[in-house]
Amino acid sequence: MFVKPFRYVRAASLAEAAHGLREADGGARVLAGGQSLLPMMNLGLLDLDAVIDVSHVDEARGVAEDDGYLRIGALTRHREVQADPLVTSRQPLLASAAGRVGSSRIRARGTLGGSLAHSDPAAELPLAMIALGATYEVTDGTATRTVRADEFHVSYFTTDLAPDELLAEVRVPTLGPGWGWGFQEVSRRPGDFAIVAAAALVRLADGEIVESRLALGGVSERALRLGAVESSVTGARAGQLEERIGPIEGLDPVTDTSATADHRRHLARVLSVRALADASRRAEEAA
Amino acid sequence: MNDERFGVSTTLVVNGRPVTRSAGGHVTLLRWLRDEADVLDPKYGCGEGVCGACTVLVDGEPASACIVLAAQCEGAAITTAAGLLGDDGEPSPLQRAFHEHHAAQCGFCTPGMLMCAQAMLADGTTRSRDEIREELHGNLCRCTGYQHIVDAIEDAQGAGR
Repeated sequence: MFVKPFRYVRAASLAEAAHGLREADGGARVLAGGQSLLPMMNLGLLDLDAVIDVSHVDEARGVAEDDGYLRIGALTRHREVQADPLVTSRQPLLASAAGRVGSSRIRARGTLGGSLAHSDPAAELPLAMIALGATYEVTDGTATRTVRADEFHVSYFTTDLAPDELLAEVRVPTLGPGWGWGFQEVSRRPGDFAIVAAAALVRLADGEIVESRLALGGVSERALRLGAVESSVTGARAGQLEERIGPIEGLDPVTDTSATADHRRHLARVLSVRALADASRRAEEAA
Repeated sequence: MNDERFGVSTTLVVNGRPVTRSAGGHVTLLRWLRDEADVLDPKYGCGEGVCGACTVLVDGEPASACIVLAAQCEGAAITTAAGLLGDDGEPSPLQRAFHEHHAAQCGFCTPGMLMCAQAMLADGTTRSRDEIREELHGNLCRCTGYQHIVDAIEDAQGAGR
């Protein structure tokens, strides 16, 4: 671990951090929990002049409910998201996804905004956000704009953030009445990034799916919503999912040391069926 | 903003003793402890936060010292395995349980295992063996097969230690 020296800059506010990013002109990154950034630095994957530490900033923390949404500060830590009573009761899919991130050490320091801005295509939280239809509040210290999760996550470790912007807040729709959720993942060890993961929401009427949302992670350059699969399961009962869902189109999985592309395609279908089945079961229990 | 390039002065309270050292802003807590402060019990394993050999407590919270910058921790209380010893220099009940159950072989993972276990004991929850294993999944041991480590932690918490 011979890291090229970089400057450590501690910001007192998100606006100060944005200012620091502008001054560094592309040579700096934001350090929130640092649980992805510092491994990348240690592995020599990034060459930075400075890191701007926002972990001592007071703003952008905590969870609040606001008319059908949870508003979660970007600096809220995974462990807080995982255990927050509003998250566990109003959007349990998100609590489940946060609980799958890394080890308890990583969840104690890593932040929601940090994971989303890192945008690993196999990470659980961007997948959850795309499945849930979340939006992000992004700030450059003076102006704030709103970005949809499925537009924010562009590609491998690439987001819609401008070089001087930071994530400030995440807005997650709460689980509506009659809806159930499912989250399925295959990874080599607990806490590893997913090989493939699936997040699903389902609303039932008379035991049949009338509305659903399904997204997959680990099968493309970013987590994907699968509208065609959603359409194909409309009207299905939980027991019919297996026959309704064929091979999933539009994926672009890679072969790496964890799995072949074909194995990822296989998992994509299997986990979609299971996540939708879990969501149907929970919707039934909620009815 | 504090933005000195080489030489951020950082004071940490290491095992109850305030230590001030100047080091580059890029220096991790693990390197600061080992190279600057001569605190050698946390080990460098993977450098990615996945093996747990560098686990220390930062203000009571377990952290992988290899993926935390020392400068981030300014003012924090850092506890390493050596900090578990009693004032008389005797091993803590947890350390004794590790000894009694032969929960170490080569010993490289042990300082991190102890700190992970200490964090478990400190939150007051009595865990099942499965729950202990769940908490330990971020700490790798290549010798013991974990059995004796789980035995030791179970014993330490069971004794209300």
